Amino acid sequence: MNCELAHEHIVAAAYGELPDDQVHQLERHVIACPECQKEREQILALRVLADAHPVIEPDPNLVARAHLRLDDALDMLPPRRWFEVLGQRIVNNFASLQSAPVAAVLLLMAGAGAGTLGGFEYAQNRAAHAATVAQAGSPSGNSVLPASAAPSPSDVAGISSIVRHPNSEIVDVSYNQVVPRKIEGSLDDPGIRQLLMMASEDSTSPGVRDDSVALLAAECRAGHSCQPSGIRDALMYALRNDRSPKVRQKALQGLEPYVADDVRVRDAVLEAVMNDNDPAVRTAAISLLEPVDADTSVQQVLYSVSNSDRNPQIRYVSRQVLSRVPETQ
Amino acid sequence: MATDAMGVSMSPTMSLAEAASTLAWPARGRVQSSPDVASRAIGGARRQNPGQDDARRAQSRALEMDLIREAQAGSRVAFDTLVRQYEHQVLRLALHLTGSEQDAEDIYQDAFLKAYRYIGNFRFECSFYTWIYRIVTNLCLDQLRRRKTRREDHAVVVDRTGDEIDILASVSDNRSFSNPARELDRKMLGAKIQAALGKLTPRERMVFELKHYQGLRLRTIGEMLNTTEETAKNTLFRATKKLRAQLAELR
Repeated sequence: MNCELAHEHIVAAAYGELPDDQVHQLERHVIACPECQKEREQILALRVLADAHPVIEPDPNLVARAHLRLDDALDMLPPRRWFEVLGQRIVNNFASLQSAPVAAVLLLMAGAGAGTLGGFEYAQNRAAHAATVAQAGSPSGNSVLPASAAPSPSDVAGISSIVRHPNSEIVDVSYNQVVPRKIEGSLDDPGIRQLLMMASEDSTSPGVRDDSVALLAAECRAGHSCQPSGIRDALMYALRNDRSPKVRQKALQGLEPYVADDVRVRDAVLEAVMNDNDPAVRTAAISLLEPVDADTSVQQVLYSVSNSDRNPQIRYVSRQVLSRVPETQ
Repeated sequence: MATDAMGVSMSPTMSLAEAASTLAWPARGRVQSSPDVASRAIGGARRQNPGQDDARRAQSRALEMDLIREAQAGSRVAFDTLVRQYEHQVLRLALHLTGSEQDAEDIYQDAFLKAYRYIGNFRFECSFYTWIYRIVTNLCLDQLRRRKTRREDHAVVVDRTGDEIDILASVSDNRSFSNPARELDRKMLGAKIQAALGKLTPRERMVFELKHYQGLRLRTIGEMLNTTEETAKNTLFRATKKLRAQLAELR
């Protein structure tokens, strides 16, 4: 430690501002340095002398007078207006932000990061959605999916149209999903058939039901693997439940090849004979029963109808069928 | 017998005359000062029951923060309580620095009006004590600079009516044993010291005032004067050097 630094430390030490480690260093230096000993004595002497100009307590009268004067001055100040208070708060908030620049920067970075990530995710979703729509094709139906891409029934909201290609086995079945789609395929394709069967139960669109039942019926009549549990069921359902007589008649036509062999089909036709409200359907149903009029249940139904039906035409047709029974027997 | 931070023994036996002679002609023996000075030199290092002191300080600081918040919300009562808490210290500092009751009263008024106006800006980054002292020291510095410019030299305190008050006369000297000759010497010495203080720059004067007479830490002084502790320390060193030179010349 040199003397110049020691002199500074002596002042600091005299006022209790020197750290302990430096006090010891200073003490060692002062012991060995007469000049610094003198310096220290003079500083302490100055401190004693300076106290000859003492700090005095203010006179109570002065305090009271100053306080009263301040009160008067404060009373004279106009009250702060709301916008001043608001401005003050804004300034304070801004100042708080300034006082925590790291926190503010981190907050801003986190916000910007989250915003960017969110925007990126949103853009990605939008792009994926747009791609899906483009793949599914426009509403006008320019894009047609192959039959192998037929959706599962749960994905289909409804069938919107069915068009058969002229002189071919190909049909176009339009069905609705969240995004309308169209697939193309053979009537023998299981996916297409599935859609057609769904279309046959579509209560909202009579045209679609008509088309689908007609196609299914044609398939059955043509003998194209009309399995008992698939298309046949759909046609029986249409015969029993469809509101359109035209559809029911087409269903009957589709069921015709199976009346002889399939008891369930026969029962459905008998129900139509007895219960259908359209005479044309009933007449057609009766005519379907001719090959199986030897069946006792068929005969009972025909007897019943020929005797008690309100429609003379029905009674007549059923009698005609019954009249041929002995001959055939 | 007490020992200060430098290991120098402090006792009340040293007289002002001895101190004066020490400054002018270096003494052969060790310098001793009054117990008052000794206690200030220690700077509060020797405290009894520091735990209790800390708890009390924390409690009073919490109360003060509540008062400040209320004052910020517009409560005059809370602000008045803060004023009463600090008005003695403000007046004491202003009176000692300016030597004029009138100036001290003006500084008091301006300081608390400023505090009232800008209390909304107080953000609890420092103590209210530091904040109000910062306002007061700035006002005092302005006053000292104006006085420097006018080259006024107040050797005595002037009251509001313009009458001169001898500060020294109002203080009893328990070391003079009511000796009239000593009392006279003491008064003369006080006036000389005041004159020597008046020759410091306003900033040196302020640092010396806050350190020597108000007993503040250099760190706090730095905060009040918007500077560093190191700068405040250097300023104190310069002030003591100048004062020693002034007082040695007086001899």
